[in-house]
Amino acid sequence: MPPSKLKSLYLSLILAFVFLLLPWSGFALKIRPDFILLVIIFWLIRAPNLCNVGTAWFLGLFVDLATGGIFGQYALAYTITAFFAVTYQRRLVLFNHTQQLFYVLLLLMISQIVLLILKTFSGAESLGWAYFLPSLTGILLWRAAVIFGLNTGGRSRGT
Amino acid sequence: MSRRFNHKLESQPAPAFFVRGPSPLARLAFFSALSLALMAADSRLQYLTSVRQSLQGLLHPLQLLANAPSRLYRDTNEYFSTHDYLLNENRSLKQYALKQDVALQKLNTLELENNNLRQLLQTNKSIVETSVAAEIMHVGRDLFTKKIIVNRGATHNIVAGEAVVDATGVIGQVTRVYPLSSEVTLITDKSLAIPIQVERNGLRAIAFGHGRDNTLDLPYLPTNVDIQRGDKLVTSGIDGVYPAGLAVATVSQIEITPDSPFARIVCVPTGGVENHKQVLLVSIPHIAEPVETEIVSPAKPDVKVKSSESKPATTKPSQKKAKLEATKPQLKPEIKPLEEPLKKPQVNLESKPSAIPQPNNTSKPHAAE
Repeated sequence: MPPSKLKSLYLSLILAFVFLLLPWSGFALKIRPDFILLVIIFWLIRAPNLCNVGTAWFLGLFVDLATGGIFGQYALAYTITAFFAVTYQRRLVLFNHTQQLFYVLLLLMISQIVLLILKTFSGAESLGWAYFLPSLTGILLWRAAVIFGLNTGGRSRGT
Repeated sequence: MSRRFNHKLESQPAPAFFVRGPSPLARLAFFSALSLALMAADSRLQYLTSVRQSLQGLLHPLQLLANAPSRLYRDTNEYFSTHDYLLNENRSLKQYALKQDVALQKLNTLELENNNLRQLLQTNKSIVETSVAAEIMHVGRDLFTKKIIVNRGATHNIVAGEAVVDATGVIGQVTRVYPLSSEVTLITDKSLAIPIQVERNGLRAIAFGHGRDNTLDLPYLPTNVDIQRGDKLVTSGIDGVYPAGLAVATVSQIEITPDSPFARIVCVPTGGVENHKQVLLVSIPHIAEPVETEIVSPAKPDVKVKSSESKPATTKPSQKKAKLEATKPQLKPEIKPLEEPLKKPQVNLESKPSAIPQPNNTSKPHAAE
């Protein structure tokens, strides 16, 4: 495996983590996209030989640590999301950008729904539909990254 | 030859298409089970707190890195703030300090007087708390809970359970302590309850965080309860965590519906729950528990003379013993206190309360066993 790719994988994950740790508050916290999950999905699509479901689980643990919740909540959500990302990875590479965007939205929603179920079990109150805003900002970020030249493996419409 | 060829083949990086290892489904099952086990272990057992603490220490440098931009922004802002602004602020702060000084002088005399009165009444000393100033690092990242992270932790002798207050009122309680930071659950969080007292009439109740919007609820109060809109709620202090008399919230809304036996009371916290940078962590007051029971028996000698039967009520274990040991030990406690108050005025009794009750107290447990 090319070491440069592995290095950029680690670097991007650390960067995503720093973004997560930024002092978000108020409305920004409500619409904060899930940086780590986005990076994981990107690498699961681009380099499935470098990371897998286990990587997602491990990073989920760190997110659990950062959010201060019960250990394993984000880990489980990321694991399930990564499973769906990996299962359809071969098809996903053939999608065009718009299709890919919808698929990423679906993945982000899956992770949020799993998390919502877990939180509801532990007695949290629902936050209304605004709870799903981070998924929308997440795909906006994804789209922006694609526009700025990030190769997510999708094909542009013409080709 | 062929072996070497094989070897060569193996060392080649396999194309991404084929390298999969165990199937994703197997991995999913394994890691899901693992996280479920972790969740169960973390929520029901206490094994993972030390793991969490050490890992949090690992995260701390990253946290500092992430906080650096906002910190830099604030610092430069402060640096370039105008001369006029600083002068104005300085003036207003000086005035404020003057006002507080006057109030403090009053407080000192009041405290002395209070202590004297308490000594006369032989009750325990009023609680003295120590506090540590802290700065809010960031708001909790979990949308479902109301938490903040402050920059004081186990290394600064913070323990879980301490009350967190700011200049205007109670903010919350320390719920988790890391080496260099600690997690504060705000009073508006659904899981936090705080014993309060209505300032106007002294009615005691417990306020619960509402969770979603920044309000508190006063549940389980009957519809005819004497609470009005605008009533101030202060800490009652009976929980032994929050010092008594701190402002908590003001009642903003009372709904009485005929189909419910309880009133629905909504309160708005007075403390700047979400808009302050500095907070104070107030340590849990320690009340010297055994001192109280020691003082009770010799404290009111005049009472004891007339009622030998009232004494066992205050110290129950001694009652059984007294019955067991028939005549001999009964003489001791009754004669001794009788002599003492006669020759000694009350003031002397206070000065060494431990000297008198000790013989009594030490003899009792031995006899009981």
